[in-house]
Parts: sequence; structure tokens; C-alpha cells
Amino acid sequence: MSSAIRLNGVSRRFARGVQALDGVDLEIGAGDFVALLGPSGCGKTTVLRLLAGLDAADAGTVVVGYGNKPPVLSYVFQDATLMPWASVFDNVWLPLRITGVSPAAARERIARVLQAVGLADFVQALPHELSGGMRMRVSIARALVTQPDVLLLDEPFAALDEITRQRLNGDLLDLWGRNRFTCVFVTHSVFEAVFLAQRVAVMSARPGRIVADLAIDAPARRTAAWRIEPRYLELCRAASAALESGFAERAP
Amino acid sequence: MKRLLPLLSLLVASLAQAQGASDAKAAPEKLERAVFATNWKAQAAHGGFYQALADGTYRRFGLDVEIRQGGPQVNNRPLLPAGRIDFLMTGNLLHSFDNVKQGVPVVAVAAIFQKDPQALLAHPGQGYENFAKLKDAPVALIAKDGQFTWWQWLTVRHGFRDEALRPYNYNLGPFLASKAAIQQGYSVAEPIYVKKQGGFDPVVHLLADHGFSTYSTLIETRRDTAEKRPQYVQRFVDASIIGWYRYLYGERKAANALMLKENPEMTEEELEASLALLRSQGIVESGEALERGIGAMNSARIADFHDNMVRAGLYKAGEVDLAKVADTRFVNRRVGLDLRKQLGGR
Amino acid sequence: MSANAHGEATPRWLRWALPAAVFIGTLLAWELLVRARDIPHYILPAPSLICSTLAANFGSLAQAWWVTIKITFGALLLAAAGGVLLAGVFSLSRTFELALVPYAVVLQVTPIVAIAPLILIYVDSTTAALLICAWIVAFFPILSNTVIGLRAADPNLRDLFRLYRATPWQRLRWLLLPSALPYFVAGLKISGGLALIGAVVAEFAAGAAGRETGLASRILEASFRTDMPRMYAALVLVAATGVAIYLLFNLLSWALLGRWHATERSD
Repeated sequence: MSSAIRLNGVSRRFARGVQALDGVDLEIGAGDFVALLGPSGCGKTTVLRLLAGLDAADAGTVVVGYGNKPPVLSYVFQDATLMPWASVFDNVWLPLRITGVSPAAARERIARVLQAVGLADFVQALPHELSGGMRMRVSIARALVTQPDVLLLDEPFAALDEITRQRLNGDLLDLWGRNRFTCVFVTHSVFEAVFLAQRVAVMSARPGRIVADLAIDAPARRTAAWRIEPRYLELCRAASAALESGFAERAP
Repeated sequence: MKRLLPLLSLLVASLAQAQGASDAKAAPEKLERAVFATNWKAQAAHGGFYQALADGTYRRFGLDVEIRQGGPQVNNRPLLPAGRIDFLMTGNLLHSFDNVKQGVPVVAVAAIFQKDPQALLAHPGQGYENFAKLKDAPVALIAKDGQFTWWQWLTVRHGFRDEALRPYNYNLGPFLASKAAIQQGYSVAEPIYVKKQGGFDPVVHLLADHGFSTYSTLIETRRDTAEKRPQYVQRFVDASIIGWYRYLYGERKAANALMLKENPEMTEEELEASLALLRSQGIVESGEALERGIGAMNSARIADFHDNMVRAGLYKAGEVDLAKVADTRFVNRRVGLDLRKQLGGR
Repeated sequence: MSANAHGEATPRWLRWALPAAVFIGTLLAWELLVRARDIPHYILPAPSLICSTLAANFGSLAQAWWVTIKITFGALLLAAAGGVLLAGVFSLSRTFELALVPYAVVLQVTPIVAIAPLILIYVDSTTAALLICAWIVAFFPILSNTVIGLRAADPNLRDLFRLYRATPWQRLRWLLLPSALPYFVAGLKISGGLALIGAVVAEFAAGAAGRETGLASRILEASFRTDMPRMYAALVLVAATGVAIYLLFNLLSWALLGRWHATERSD
């Protein structure tokens, strides 16, 4: 299987001399679920933005896609990033609307994707009428409505409570299982990374670099029960250790 | 300006004191305070009042007078019924008629000007030498005060049109810039400024020559002041009249200096030029004033002017109780006529 | 619904009844004061006299009222149009903004009382001059608020639009304008009252003349003719217009933003 995402020696330096990334190498196959784990400020978001095309690398190459078809990308931000003046329908419709799809034509797709995130009854609701978790679901629905090849998520559940977070983790896995998009999930939570991903790429502290790549040998379809498996805790410990070493390595 | 007033009044008081001290007659022990508000910044048309202040005449009559200037944005008139001032200078009888009509208890006690210097000015060589042509002017620059009083008379009596009316903000610019424009002015003041700024002598038409027969520069006071303190009123009127004779015929350097202090934009030559016009046009001394003294008023003339205004539609017949307009007992007493002879007047 | 300390919501009717009651109470106290102290009408007219004067002169006062309203709303419309347009230009080009902002500020801070007579010298039509004066006063709040508003779009939303390759026109319509709307409305609320003040002050300072005169001229005229009750009557109309504008824009704000914006929701 050819790689959907390839980063080679990617470096990025911001104004005021902040070196966010220094030589990042990462390869992700199509349909893979990879967690990008790292401490705050290590450049995880920068990597995601480079993948999304929202930013450009100073050195190295970033390749997203396979074949000659440009990949359909979606991005889920840390906060739901909904348009507060628009209903759930209009928010989810946005990516389609930009490409010229009429509301009538989009109605079915929107209904389907809202059903998938469990918000079928809230089509006309406004963002301020929804809870944090529900707003994040709308954000995910919006990301999925274009049937993306690649889904990029930047700590999407970090602002939510633990219970909601775990539920949404499960829901995300379900959606991934059904749609099999390539998923890059940025997080600073070891538990979340190990629960969700097939691979955990551990980043060092700034300037960021991949210091470890752990394969998570667990079935693709996981349930809450996975969280209490001994193998899960082992992997968490290993990921933590890799985090620590990455942190220590680059600590000034 | 209003903040400078306490300082200025102190200055004025000390000036008056300096003048009064040099006077032969002894000043009375206790002076009664009188605040007199004018209707414009200090100018020659106020000369007699400033004279009485500067040369100690008010003091000799037992009065500690403060003269408060008016000005382009200042409306001193409500201060009189409100009790903030004691005497008020008004420009014509229309103000008195309005007061009486509105039931405001103020009364005119002297008429310093026998003729109203209110005039219309025009550029020479535009045909405006003929008064009848003025109503055809495309632009008539009239200030707010005039707009709500004598302009109405002009429209009814002389056919002027509201369409030509433009607000006049006491800036000669628009008039000087447009040869076809006409504007209001005091016949003893604006022509001097027009000559200075525009370099030409404007055509001047006195409204008084075309039927606007009002008195002008009247002294008003509250009705209860006139009734309860007649001596006080009399002294103020007499002192003012004396001041006017002294200004017209006597030594007026101190008065001019005082006016220049109050109104820094004025110049001595403008004051003197204006005074010359006051004299030559017979504004202060003409008609009855020649026999009865400056300030002379008679009810018949007031009634006649009132009827004119009723005919011009400014008032309805019976709206104004003429008996309440003026109290003539303070004038027509030949005050100052000897002084005039003494000073060599005519 | 706003709540008191116990968490109980203020009933809707009270929100109208309370200010109305205070207003009526003030009027009554005023009337009693005038009658009890026998204050003459040329110093302080009683509300009853003002009312009767208003009724008696309603014809001419209404005409002046209409002129003032026309100028106020005319100026407001032009200020809104100009403000939004210029804000749009500023948001596209920082250079342009830096070049022009000083002039906008100068316009804002120079007192209209001083400018009005000058404008009257240069502009022939008095109505145009008054419109310009009222416009100057109302223009800046709309401009500055809309500029901020256009910049206030959520950066993440901006990224999202970029990601989905929205055209600049799409971005303007679906992101920038709705983001800017609350700010624009806030500016409009401020400018509404200012436009009225500008119209009235300009007329005071410059002095309108002839037929097309507004309430300020009536106030001046009444003051020159020592007609205090009429002066107060005209003032009442000015105040009423101000209140009406305030209510109108509050209604507009609620209509445009009520569903979603924090300023309109008090929960």
C-alpha cells in the first residue's frame, strides 16, 4: 500500500527565531489511524497545519495524497469552530456550499452524517444551544460531510470532560472503522493516543522531531474494555517513557 | 469668555475706581450693584455705557456697574427675567413686544438710539443702490436674531423672499465673495469692516428709512425693579445718558481703552469711525432726543411701530398690551442737555 | 431573561412598567413643583403647559420635526454606507488604512460646532451642509467598529475557509460579514444618537434658514422670542426622537443578532 502521507526532514521556523520543527520524518499509509503524541508546544499542531496546507515548511518535503487525484482533506480544531450565527445544518453544509452544492442536494448527506454523530434531532439548533460535546460532534460531522480521504484532528476532545471524551473517542473509532479515512490525531494524552491509534508517533519537545513510533497491537475494533487490558497499560507506559525521553532530550 | 468675566470685572472695577478717584465730587459710601448685559461685543454703539463706567459716572450715581458683553453665540435676554442681571440692552422694540406677548414681566425704560442702525448692505454697481432691488437678491445673509424678527417684516412689507434667506454667521466671507449677495449689518459698524476687508464701500440701506421705525439700544429692566426701586433705575438711566453725552462730546479715551480691553478684536480707528457714523446718521441724537435728551421715548411712536408690525403680520391685534411695553417716566427729563452745551455739543 | 439575586427572572411587563412609572412620577413632581412654587412659565414651564403648547403648535413643529428626522436618518444612511465601504477597503489594504485613518480621526475630534459655520460657507445648500455635519459626527463610530468587526473573524474559521478553498467573495459573504455584523450594529447604535445630535447642533451653529428648517431652528426661534413653553415643546420632540432612535436600533440589534449573539442573549 502506498503512503498517503509522507514527511521528510521537515523543518519550520517561525518569526522571532522559534524553531518549531527540526527534521521531522513520518510516513502514514492510506487508511491508517496515527496518533501524534507530544508535550505542549512541541509542534504537533504545526505538523497538522503543514499537512492541511495551511502552512509551508522551510525545509524538507510534505506529500499528502496518492495517485494523481488531490486528496480531500478535513480538519477538526481544538474548539468546535462553528459559525455561531448559523444553524447546525448550515455549519455542516459549509464545505459543500463552498463547492456549489445546493441545500436541497446536500440535505441527504447532511442528514446522514448528523445521524452518524448522533445529532439527527438538532439540525436546526444554533451552536449556543448545544453543549461542548455536541458542538464537537457537529464539527466532526462537518469534517465528514465531504467524505474526506484524510481527516486531521487537533486535540479535538481536550476541552471536554472525561466522560464525554471517552464517548467521543469510541464514536470516532466507529466512524473511522466504517469510512476508513486516513486519520492523524494530535493529542497530548497518552491514554487517548494508545486507545485510538494503530500507531503512536511520539514527538520530542521543541524543536519537534519524531523520537519514537509505537505500534499498537490491538484489534481495529476496540471497546471500552480495551482500556483495562494489561497490554493497554503496558503500551501506555512505553509511550510515556518515550515522551519523557523525548522531553529530556530536547530540554534546554 | 465667561470664565474671564470675574477677572475682567475686577479689572473694570479697579479702572472705574482709578477714574472715579480723580473726580472732584465725592463718591457715595455704599454703591448699589447693577449688572448690565449688552447685545454684542463691545463696540462704539455701546460707547456711552462704557464711558459711564470708565470715567466714574456710574460710581458718582452710587452704582457699581458690571457690563456683560453679548456676542455671536450669546443670548443674554433670558437672564433678565431670570433675575441674573439687572438691566439689559435690546436691539429693537420687537423684543419688548415679544416679552409682553409672552407675559414676561420686563419693561423698557430708555431708548438710547432714536433710529435703529439695522441695515442691509450690498455691493456697489449691482443695481442695489435702489432699495426696491434688494428683494430680488438671490442670497440674503441674515442672522438668527433678524431671521425671527424684522426679516418677516421685510417679506410682508417689502416683498423679500424666504428662498433667498441664508444663515449669516457674522462672517463677511460669503458676502464679499458674491457680488449679488446682500447681508445684514449695523449701519455704524459693518460698512467699516467691509471697507477694511473687502476694500470697497458697500451700499447701505437703513431699515429705519423704509418704515422700520423702532427705537433701538433700549434699556430694559424687570417690572418689579422699576416699581420697587425707581430711584435705582433712575440713577442707572441718568448715568447712562450722561455717559453717552460724554462719549459723544467729551474725553473718551478711557472708554475706548476699556472697550478695546473687553473686545480685543476691535481697534481704536474702528471705534472712532463708528462714532463718526453714529453722529452723521443721527442714530443717538435726532428727533425728540434733541429736545428731551438722549434716551427719549414716547408711547405714540411705540404704538405706531406696533401697528406697522401688526399690519406686517408679526403680531395679531390685541396680542400685545402696549401699556406694558415701556415705562417712560425715567426719560424725557432733559437730563444731560446742559452737559452737552458745556462740552460744546453743536 | 435577566434574573435577580434569587435567580427569578424579571417579568416582561415590569421592564416596561418601571421606567414608565418613573417617567410619569417625574412629570408629576415637576408639575407640582411649578404650581407650588408659582414658577413663572418663562423660567420653567409646567409639563401641562408644554403639552398644550405642543398640541397647539403641532402643525409647524411637526414640519420641523420631519426635517430633523430626514436629516438625521439621511446622514445615518450615508454614514453607514460610507463607514462599511471604507471599512471594507481598510480591511483589504493596511496601507490604505494607515494613510487615511488620521483624517478619519481628525474628522471625529474636531467639534462640529466649529465646523458647521465653515461648511455653510463652502456649501451652497443649507440642507446639504447640515447633512454633511451630521454625517461627520455619525461616520466614525461605524467605520471604526466595522473595521474591528471585519478583523474579528475567528482565525480558525478563516483557516477552515482557506482549507475548503473558498473564494474571497464567499469568504466575505459567509464569514467576514456575519462576523462583523455585531460590531457594525454596535457602531450603528452609537451613531444613531450621534446623527441626531449632529443634525441639531449643526443647525444651531450654522443656523438653517427659510422653509426647510428643523427643530433646532424652532428652539432658537422660541428662545429669541422668549417663548419658553414652545422651546420646551421642541426640546421634547428632540428628546422623543432620541429615545425612538435608541429603541429602533435596539430592536434592529435584537432582530439581527437576537438568536445568536452574546450581546442580545442575557443567559
